[in-house]
Amino acid sequence: MTAPAVAARRTGAGLRRYLPYVTSGLQGLLQYRITFLVSGITAAVTAGLLAYLWREVFAARDTVAGFDLAGITTYVVLAQVLALLQNNRVDEGVSAEISRGDIAAVLIRPVSYPVSKFFASLPVSVANAVVVGVPVLGLYTLLLPLAAPTWSGLALFGPALVGSVLIAYAVNMLVGLAGFVSTNVWGLRTIKDSAVALLAGQLVPLAVMPEPMAAVARLLPFHGMVDSPLRLLLGRYSGAGEAVGILAVQLGWAVALLLAVAVVWRLAVRRLEVQGG
Amino acid sequence: MIVAEGLVKEFRRYERGPGLRGSLAGLFTRRHQIVRAVAGVSFRIPAGTKVAYVGANGAGKSTTIKLLTGIMRPTAGRCLVDGREPYRERRATATVIGAVFGHRSQLWWDLPVGDSFRILRRVYDIPDPVYRHNMARFRELLDLDALGTTPVRQLSLGQRMRAEVAASLLHDPAVVFLDEPTIGLDLTLKEAVRALINQVNAELGTTVMLTSHDIGDIGSICDQVLVVNEGAVVHQGSMADLLRTADTRTVVFDHGADRPVAGALALLETGLPGVRAVPDGPGRIRVDFPVPRWSVRQVMAFVLEHFDVTECFAPEPDLETVLRRVYATRATVATGGSG
Repeated sequence: MTAPAVAARRTGAGLRRYLPYVTSGLQGLLQYRITFLVSGITAAVTAGLLAYLWREVFAARDTVAGFDLAGITTYVVLAQVLALLQNNRVDEGVSAEISRGDIAAVLIRPVSYPVSKFFASLPVSVANAVVVGVPVLGLYTLLLPLAAPTWSGLALFGPALVGSVLIAYAVNMLVGLAGFVSTNVWGLRTIKDSAVALLAGQLVPLAVMPEPMAAVARLLPFHGMVDSPLRLLLGRYSGAGEAVGILAVQLGWAVALLLAVAVVWRLAVRRLEVQGG
Repeated sequence: MIVAEGLVKEFRRYERGPGLRGSLAGLFTRRHQIVRAVAGVSFRIPAGTKVAYVGANGAGKSTTIKLLTGIMRPTAGRCLVDGREPYRERRATATVIGAVFGHRSQLWWDLPVGDSFRILRRVYDIPDPVYRHNMARFRELLDLDALGTTPVRQLSLGQRMRAEVAASLLHDPAVVFLDEPTIGLDLTLKEAVRALINQVNAELGTTVMLTSHDIGDIGSICDQVLVVNEGAVVHQGSMADLLRTADTRTVVFDHGADRPVAGALALLETGLPGVRAVPDGPGRIRVDFPVPRWSVRQVMAFVLEHFDVTECFAPEPDLETVLRRVYATRATVATGGSG
């Protein structure tokens, strides 16, 4: 066998080790059916509230920063669906495992901790999006006029969706790993949730924000989670060059944040002092 | 199989003054104290040995296990498990070791036990015949089927511990670290867990490292004892060697109840100077004597000669008493026999 073939086989075997984390993550999630209901209601109410707020705004004018009413309604509803996809609970799980000291039991497995967490978070994201996100989207398709995406928009949205899932994982993982230095990750998580809601464009698109705030948001990685994928989906760019640029910035942030996770994890595990015996 | 060379692990413990004032002051100045959990431990455990790692609370046992399993890295010194430094090659080491941390679960909290085993089978890439053979063994010895499809979080401690021990042995590890593996188990299950560990060791030559406060575990599993005190090894040798270090032994005998006890005690204490004789229930006397001044044989001979004995025995020295003495003497590294 050639060297690349051996390497490929080894990688295959390596990845196979992580597949059970996908199924176990899903199984664990399905134990708590009520959380689906709760996040469904939250997403539906938030999207509805924002949509009707915008209706009031549009009563007096026809466009806001290039959005028409159908466009902005589509944006806020889809932003809620994306938020569900990014609600992977990695921050919660990781910080809890660190503060309880259960991370010791995880470290005796022949797998990488951050990678196993990523695979375990995938089904959580997908299940949230499918079980909760799709019905919410369906509901508002019936209730409100939404803008239909173009084929090119859908094609660009695919890779952007991957990028947004990776950024969401990395941000949550970094917040979770803060458990190594602070026992109060809950506070940090609250700050992160607010930062994401605002700076990712979960509440309003970056284009609608006042310029200083939009400038700050553009400098930070969060806009890759909601604003970038929806800009691509709704065709809010001029020319292929700009579309590729949006995608490149977003994927660049995803890679940078994943590298940060790898570095922080290495440093953290080096100075790990397991809490409580 | 396991080697430790001058292993040291220090922790920083942040100090805070008492009360609210202390906590507030702690916001601005943080003093810390270096705590040495493991202070230069060296030992060598050959493959296939079942060794008990014994020490009082806070002796650094759990910390040592965490160094050996690659969870933490030592401040100084090094250790090797199956030829690798576990904290440098954690994942490679993880494939050949198993571990039970009695007070932490390593099973999937929300899933039934059976699902955890199926996950582990994939994670460790366990071949089918090995998996089937081991599962059959666990079912037979630990009655795993009784756990049904209840999620782990709803199991009792005893039910969970059975599954934890089985999980640590599923992938036929070369070394298994058992940190208090029988807490929460009743007598029958303790026996079952001990039998399982012994069976696996006999069949596969698995090296076993056990920490436990349960003297019964140590006695029925281990053939070697490593005693640590204040982070350093104070005794390594066979169980018999350790028991031989006892400085007091006992002979117990039953005699005709008609004899006045006071006279009998006086006879023993004058005939065998240095012994302490005490009544131990009706018609029974216990003689505690210092070794090596007297031997069991001498004391028994004296007893048989002067009393109408119906029963006479010399119980093995009590491990707890021996350990208490070992901790108290705080000897520097003492090697007791085979390594």
